[in-house]
Amino acid sequence: MLPIKLILGLTIALISICCGDVQAQSLNGIFDKAIDSSQKKMVKIFGAGVGRVESYSSGMIVSDNGLIITRQGVFLEGNQVRVITADGKTHEAAVLKRNREIQAALLKIPAKTPDHFKLTDKQVGKKGDWVVAISNAFKVADKREHLSVTLGCITLRSYIEAKRNKRDIAYKGPVILIDCITSNPGAAGGAVIGAKGELIGMIGTIIKSDETNTRLNYTVPTATLKKFVEGKLDTTAVASTKSKTPKKQADLGIRMMKFVGKREPPYADKVTRNSPAYEVGIRPDDLIISLNGKTTKTIADFNEAMSEIEPGKEVIIIFKKPRSDEIIRVPLKAVEKK
Amino acid sequence: MKTKITHLLVTLFFLFTGAVGVAQDNQEEKLKLLRGTLLSPKAFRAAAKKIEPALVKIDSFGGISTVAGRIGGIRKQGEGNTTGVMISPDGYFVSSSFNFVNQPPVITVVTSDGKRRVADLLGRDETRRICLLKIRSTKENPVKDMPVPTFVDPKDVKVGQYAISVGYGYGDDTAAVSQGIISANNRAGGRAIQTDANISPANYGGALVDIRGRLLGVCVPLNPRAPSVTAGVEWYDSGIGFAIPLHGLEGIIEKLKDKKTVISPAYLGVQGQFSVVNVGVKIKKVLGPAKAAGIKKGDVIVAIGDKIIRDMTDLRFALSRNVAGDTISVTVRRKEEEQKIEVKLGKAPSSSKKKIEPFKR
Repeated sequence: MLPIKLILGLTIALISICCGDVQAQSLNGIFDKAIDSSQKKMVKIFGAGVGRVESYSSGMIVSDNGLIITRQGVFLEGNQVRVITADGKTHEAAVLKRNREIQAALLKIPAKTPDHFKLTDKQVGKKGDWVVAISNAFKVADKREHLSVTLGCITLRSYIEAKRNKRDIAYKGPVILIDCITSNPGAAGGAVIGAKGELIGMIGTIIKSDETNTRLNYTVPTATLKKFVEGKLDTTAVASTKSKTPKKQADLGIRMMKFVGKREPPYADKVTRNSPAYEVGIRPDDLIISLNGKTTKTIADFNEAMSEIEPGKEVIIIFKKPRSDEIIRVPLKAVEKK
Repeated sequence: MKTKITHLLVTLFFLFTGAVGVAQDNQEEKLKLLRGTLLSPKAFRAAAKKIEPALVKIDSFGGISTVAGRIGGIRKQGEGNTTGVMISPDGYFVSSSFNFVNQPPVITVVTSDGKRRVADLLGRDETRRICLLKIRSTKENPVKDMPVPTFVDPKDVKVGQYAISVGYGYGDDTAAVSQGIISANNRAGGRAIQTDANISPANYGGALVDIRGRLLGVCVPLNPRAPSVTAGVEWYDSGIGFAIPLHGLEGIIEKLKDKKTVISPAYLGVQGQFSVVNVGVKIKKVLGPAKAAGIKKGDVIVAIGDKIIRDMTDLRFALSRNVAGDTISVTVRRKEEEQKIEVKLGKAPSSSKKKIEPFKR
């Protein structure tokens, strides 16, 4: 009787293994391998906490000799920056460099890191592509625990301009907007990967969009990070706005009302005779809709668009006359402001 | 003994092959799922591309200055770029009323042909948080043959199906997309569908489309329990988003063509008493329309129309299917006697204290 029992037992075991395995696999989806291999390349970073600013962040390893990219922030100011790798080991990190424009910092730990992300010059990911964001938002993971992952897609590839005199928006450069929520404390510095585990970029610091006034969920592209690590990032554009000698100011001949708020719509108050604006038919009370490709919703927008115009160069102005249905679009040349 | 073993072996063999067959089926199912997931980004892009020609980019100028404060953490509501969905070839389009809280005197739209034209704000439906606008047609720039999307009947929308939100709120030339699924049907008195795709000022007024690029609804901020036009903004990008299906709204759209039309949520004017026995709503306080119609304190509302009312939730649901101005039949029990009372529903008294005039020139 023994062989029967044995055969029976073995067969049942075989059947259950076979079915069970398939059952488990059928629900695994396409992201598990990508996430598995990426978790080894992620780190948790702890630094100094100041007031309500969080003292922790996520980071990702980008070389085999311990280079780590994370967000730039006050938490790096302390005496000690601790990095916890996926194996649960704690390393003391040195801050090599920091960049205000892309809000990133480069750290180094004294350890070999064979598992790391490869930075590339290429544009990775198209609008609509799946993305997985890996981060330690809210410090959920501890020690050797894996970081949290969320699934989403690429919403838009866009460009953010840092606004001068606005301290809360301190990012300038290309961004990839994503639809998984990454604008949470501690998430910045985390990785955003594609379905095959390819690195798309780094989760950026929490910022608000100037357009929608909502928190943006975005990624600093891998190509920008590569430039940053290699020291090839062009940061002169932002710096120069302060240091450069004032450039020649352009004039179109349009004067806005001075005694109303800067947030009022840009209705022309006065138009100088024979000025470029006068020549193309702009008169007092006309509403300036767009200048040089920028929509001018407020007097502040108009002034800003004016400051970017160079005398002698042709620009397109779009305006509307009062009580008229027509929107007029004409080219004109700015003159130098006297 | 030997035959027994052979029998058993044969049975086991068939059992095993059967299991392998099941396993193969599972394998195929799995492959199908994987292939589908891998291909879905392509489908998201195609769906967005299909709806984009029917979307308009809206810019508004002036209006009430928004120093009044924040709403749901958003300071400058309705000042950025916004989106609208074209609904007729002659230039009527629907957007979210959130985008026009400022009552801007000048509105311009850029249509898919790249032309910028002036548009007028017409009526609004406060129960759906949508409004109707029309592009002004001029001799030089006539408005005709505008692309219009295919509307999906909300009855055919299944919870769990893909949903993609598309909008121009970030100010770029191309639309932003966000993917998700339909989370619920029949929200806000059957007026809205719910999705977990990101819905925010980046796509209020924009489109929520299915995987084939057909219009499921117009994205709006919504909080089914709060009447304010901006309620629900605090839930932006939270996985709780709403869209208003336009299928079957022809009658309402027709009404909204009149600038003066404001469709408001229904207001009955009763305060119910909490009760654990679900046999109707006992009235604690009577105001406005209910008082005018003769409903009294102590009455128990047992039905609205042919809908039986067991508790406050039933009452709220029944009311949410109507709008201000509708006449409903309320069945009340007064001293063990049931009677039907016709009530003309009113508008909820406004809570705002001051009126601000928009900036005009």
